[in-house]
Amino acid sequence: MTQTDIWTERYRPAVFEEVVGQQEIVKRVRSLVQSLNIPHLLFAGPAGTGKSTLALIIVRELFGDTWKQNYLELNASDERGIDVVRQKVKDFARTKSLGNVPFKVIFLDEADALTREAQQALRRTMENYTNTCRFILSCNYSSQIIDPIQSRCVVFRFKLLEKKDIASVIKKIGEREKLNIAEDTYEALYESSEGDCRRAINLIQATASISPDVNAEMINIISSRSKPANIRIVLDYALAGDFMNAREKLLDVMLKESIAGIDVIKAIQKEVWNLQVEPELKLKLTEKTGEIEFRMVEGSDEFVQLQALLASFVMAGRGKSL
Amino acid sequence: MTLAEKHRPKKYTDMVGHEQVILAVRTFLSEFPKKKAILLYGSPGTGKTSLAHVAARENNAEIFELNSSDLRNRIKLEEILKPASKQESLFKKNKILLVDEVDGVTGTDIGGIAELIRIINQTSHPIIITGNDVWQTKLAPLRPLCTLVEMKSLKPDTVQIFLSNICAKEGTQENPHFLKQIAIKSQGDLRAALNDLQAYTIDRNIPVDPEKRNKEESIFNILKLLFQQRQDFLQLFDNTELSLDEILLWIEENIPREYREESLFKAYYALSNADIHRGRIYRQQHWRFLLYQNIFQSAGIAYAKKLPRSTFTKYERPKRVLKIWMNNQRTAKKKTISQKYARAVHCSVKRVMRDFEVLRPILQSIQIQQKLKLEQDEIDFLTK
Repeated sequence: MTQTDIWTERYRPAVFEEVVGQQEIVKRVRSLVQSLNIPHLLFAGPAGTGKSTLALIIVRELFGDTWKQNYLELNASDERGIDVVRQKVKDFARTKSLGNVPFKVIFLDEADALTREAQQALRRTMENYTNTCRFILSCNYSSQIIDPIQSRCVVFRFKLLEKKDIASVIKKIGEREKLNIAEDTYEALYESSEGDCRRAINLIQATASISPDVNAEMINIISSRSKPANIRIVLDYALAGDFMNAREKLLDVMLKESIAGIDVIKAIQKEVWNLQVEPELKLKLTEKTGEIEFRMVEGSDEFVQLQALLASFVMAGRGKSL
Repeated sequence: MTLAEKHRPKKYTDMVGHEQVILAVRTFLSEFPKKKAILLYGSPGTGKTSLAHVAARENNAEIFELNSSDLRNRIKLEEILKPASKQESLFKKNKILLVDEVDGVTGTDIGGIAELIRIINQTSHPIIITGNDVWQTKLAPLRPLCTLVEMKSLKPDTVQIFLSNICAKEGTQENPHFLKQIAIKSQGDLRAALNDLQAYTIDRNIPVDPEKRNKEESIFNILKLLFQQRQDFLQLFDNTELSLDEILLWIEENIPREYREESLFKAYYALSNADIHRGRIYRQQHWRFLLYQNIFQSAGIAYAKKLPRSTFTKYERPKRVLKIWMNNQRTAKKKTISQKYARAVHCSVKRVMRDFEVLRPILQSIQIQQKLKLEQDEIDFLTK
């Protein structure tokens, strides 16, 4: 069984009609596009719900065959700092758009990864080039975007996809790729993708690359490969008073799985409730976790902050008051 | 003219004991622009700058040099380096850019690093960068762009051979034992050895003092004072050449070797406070906060314990930065693959890296590998 294409791309909706689960947004965006004059847009919502897809459809509808010349895609979480963003925007916006539409479109993905200062700078950039450029920003939480930017954009909130939406997408792929999908697969896919359509498609393709007969068990095996690594071991070491091992394990996990400090904090916060300790202590540990998450945002070295958190788990394990 | 100036090496073969580094530089120059820059690092006086000049001479190239006495700010760099990196050289010779003592770029002209990175990306001439300590946070964005090569300190024996060669050229005779003393004292710093040789041959009365304290000794003392005493901590860091950020890494590494339970907890919270202020400095260029960082990582650490203590603790050098770097080397292919894939699927590299194990079977399809234009070594990484 060979696969010739990346399915998330092959089956990415190319026209408004194909987008699933966001009917209201699609309706409004489409009427904006038909007027050939879109405002700045802000797409807020979880991963894999169609934000990038909708941006791509918009530029295809606007520019037709010349969309590639008139469209720039940047990812804020990958670009190093606002300077890069500004320079690229400047270079792109300097030349006139091709075709009937008097502006170009810049899609800034994961805009919530920009710091507040960077967003302030971005706001100026948006103002300076507003005649020649329209921005589409995407983010997971609109609360992470500063008000002045939000007020310059029309905000659309994308919903998490429902089970039936994911199932319909997967069914279509199954037919086209001649897969034999067992009925329990859809449930498993929805569970492990958490409504993230990109992830669901990746899971089905990864599974299908092994065998065209797909079932829940296989999906679960594949998806467990990228489950957030076992933070529990780290916490167990810390609670047992072994700071050195806790620290070493933590660094290993972070390096091996390429996870950032902020994701470690999220995992710890979830794991605290599964610990075998008094509820009171859980509450205290949660408080510390929140404090460290805040410090991480303010500080410069997330591993220093995580060590401070591990130290408080060591204290808790010794029954010392926090 | 000092002996050190007079006997600066002119050919690769003059540089005794550095054969491997020379090989790395030659490979870098012959493969340019595969990598745009090479970063030579090591203790002072190991010959980093000399090697750059020798390399230029051996390649019949003109050298364009910037050292830390040049104002390393962005405007200056843009003026000087940028035209140089794009222009053809005056006499149609090759050109090599030398950025000397990169760690001399201090916090205030931190824009200098950003600009240097930009220049590395655009340059049409190979760039040689030298530095003493390349593991500082501010140089982190620079490291992945460069080939990193360490110039190790020379062994005393090598230094001694070198010194006696110089004496032969100068037509003087020196007692081997005397040369050996100078060689040991130099701790691999050839320039210092030559200066000493010159000084001692002028005035025989200066005793050779082999007990020169080196940098690492001083950080070990600082850690001892910090963790065990409770006094003079505000001036503590004045006696070392290490930056506050480097000291922070040393403290971070060694807290659990010294403190337990409550002290451990307090010490890390002090360090966390220091880091918060450092974060504010980075983001807002609010340099006054350096004061707070200093206090938290000195007094904050010292007062984490209840009483002064004196036990023997074996301190260790910070391992984290090295570990991260080694990991990045190991997973470099994962990153380049993720970059290619991310571009194709309109998604961030970070997210792809996180989901890499799910994507791996997809990326093993030959057709997809061709579409993403993966290199052979990237394909090997996926099938391994």
